[in-house]
Amino acid sequence: MSSEKLLPGRATKPNPLPSSSTSLAKAATIPSELILQIFKYVTSTADLKSCILVCKSWCRCGVELLWHKPVFTNNSSLIKLLITLSRSTQTFQYSLLIRRLNFSFLGEDISDQILARLSSCERLERLTLGGCRRLTDVGLLKLLEKADGLVALDVSDIENLTDSVVELVGERCRRLQGLNVSMCRKISDKGIMVVASKCRSLRRIKLSNCDNITDESVIVLAKNCPHLLELDLTNCNQITNKAIKPVFENCTQLRELRLACCAHLTDESFTRTTPSLFEQLRVLDLTSCALITDQTLFKIVHSAPKLRNLVLAKCGNITDEGVYHITRLGKHLHYLHLGHCNRITDHSITHLARHCTRLRYLDLACCNQLTDASVFELSNLPKLRRIGLVKCALITDQAIFALIENRVVAHTLERVHLSYCVNLTISAVLDLINFCYRLTHLSLTGVHAFLRPDVQRFCRPPPKEFTAHQRQVFCVFSGKGVKDLRAYLNNAFIGQQRGRITGGVGNTEDQVVQQPITTGADIEDSVISEAEGVGGDLSEGGEGDNDTGRDRGSNRHRGRTMNPDGDEGDVGI
Amino acid sequence: MAELKKVKLTSSEGTEFIVDRKVAEKSVLLKNMLEDVGESDMAIPLPNVTGPILNKVIDYCTHHRDDPFVNQEDDSKKVSDDIDDWDAEFCKVDQGTLFELILSANYLDIKPLLDLTCKTVANMIKGKTPDEIRKTFNIINDFTPEEEEHVRKENEWCEER
Repeated sequence: MSSEKLLPGRATKPNPLPSSSTSLAKAATIPSELILQIFKYVTSTADLKSCILVCKSWCRCGVELLWHKPVFTNNSSLIKLLITLSRSTQTFQYSLLIRRLNFSFLGEDISDQILARLSSCERLERLTLGGCRRLTDVGLLKLLEKADGLVALDVSDIENLTDSVVELVGERCRRLQGLNVSMCRKISDKGIMVVASKCRSLRRIKLSNCDNITDESVIVLAKNCPHLLELDLTNCNQITNKAIKPVFENCTQLRELRLACCAHLTDESFTRTTPSLFEQLRVLDLTSCALITDQTLFKIVHSAPKLRNLVLAKCGNITDEGVYHITRLGKHLHYLHLGHCNRITDHSITHLARHCTRLRYLDLACCNQLTDASVFELSNLPKLRRIGLVKCALITDQAIFALIENRVVAHTLERVHLSYCVNLTISAVLDLINFCYRLTHLSLTGVHAFLRPDVQRFCRPPPKEFTAHQRQVFCVFSGKGVKDLRAYLNNAFIGQQRGRITGGVGNTEDQVVQQPITTGADIEDSVISEAEGVGGDLSEGGEGDNDTGRDRGSNRHRGRTMNPDGDEGDVGI
Repeated sequence: MAELKKVKLTSSEGTEFIVDRKVAEKSVLLKNMLEDVGESDMAIPLPNVTGPILNKVIDYCTHHRDDPFVNQEDDSKKVSDDIDDWDAEFCKVDQGTLFELILSANYLDIKPLLDLTCKTVANMIKGKTPDEIRKTFNIINDFTPEEEEHVRKENEWCEER
């Protein structure tokens, strides 16, 4: 079988349509484009491999799908593929069927030799080599020799790569839309300038940690690539206002802009544009752009009123006024990081909680002026999944009680960071973990009440680089650790018959129907016998509000604490 | 009320079908034709579709007349086990009819019907050997044993996705 015989691809069979009623269509006579349609639903590779052996026309369709985007989870299948490609007689010209290659799972198994053997893949459109750190220019230059149609290239974290690869890509791949050279520290303006001036349809470019990059190439990018959707300049610490200004004048399609650690940037980077000029902008990361002030926030919210993720960690000049500007994003804002913005007070956080009601993720670490008042307000956020209050040292148990007063967060909170909130007590935190049944992460590092061996044995191992002292105060629970902690504390507390304990249960499958949740059952006044506890009537009432729940809850609650597996949905109240 | 308007369709053997315009418009081909033609009582000839098949197609479009139109051109997740009961029952037809439905859905441009019928065929392929597939669909193996072995070897590398 020569490739000529089979390859003319999707040429359809002579008129298979039922122009007369004499014979019905058959699998063998329907056009190959429809066979291809059917094969798209043959999701198992094993089945598809059977299909290609059925007959020649099915084979032609099947191999197109099998080779379009080969997937390798181990080296041996890649070697087998290379053997097929090196055969002198092939049923099809397989190399031309390959459109996408992703070797990021194979990482350091990928060598320059392997890439060279793939250089016949002239129709490659997407190439993902992130983390294949053994590669050098030699392999890439060989592979890209003929890949004119390349649309996306990811060579992130291949430290050996130099500008010659990027220059070649710029010269040859005029249709390039995506380039990821993050962590390729040798890449400089020289390479990026070629891409920026030749690949005008560029949509996404990631240059994070390419610390040789200067304003020069970013200015060319901004001027030549008006379709940019994503620009990542994280840790490109030579970048100044001179580069960001043109970005903010030209790239109005931007969806994601990451400028973390571009420490030279000031308010001047951000021009006051016409309102909503950056309507598409969803993600803006200004971490450690420490010179920017509230003014920047005013201008950004004005230009990009639909921002969804805003990261301002370590922007130490930001004050309440800046947060007031942010609140104008209203329901669009889902993710806000204000860690280390320690000028912020309860005033603006209150305002934030009342206006940005769809916040899912909020980090206020080291905002050490914040008090329980902020948490009272934040507890009303109906979609809050993660809250970070690390080193908000003024926070007390009252804040925790406020959080769990609100039934909504019980269904949403998954990650809670309370490290160094030194005033917290075990009983309040136990209330929280009983109440928030979705909790998968809880950090309490440096909270004295938890620094005891019986509790810390449930916490995950501290990072290797930690000092002895850091290890001593480390206290982070995640996944099973949270469940075990919950179970242990409930038992311990029942045994001691002291403290406040809450029982919170919810049906994970049904968030719409509010599950009866008992809160803050004060059990000091009732002696709990084991029999009573186990026999607690779990089906009793419970649709009442918090107060009645509290009254009636103790019985149910005891029933639960006797079996504190922590498995959600087990107790089907 | 545009949706109460009736549309006449003629099958390949000349049988006339009268359907609600809304039902006919499940077919993108007919929808575009009707928009081009505007108000007209003329029957639309469908020389590629036989009466019995057109009847089935109309059944399908009538049942799904109120489904929202979904443009899922590059819907990346292709699954074949999401067929509801009515649709499954609808596809319990002989193989000839099933393939005729695929051709007609393609010709009339009714994406959800094309998806449904293709999924149904895909499900008939699942778990079968090449020989069982040939028997199921009455396909003649036009490979020589050497050619077949060659193709098998060349594609041995493919892993389960």
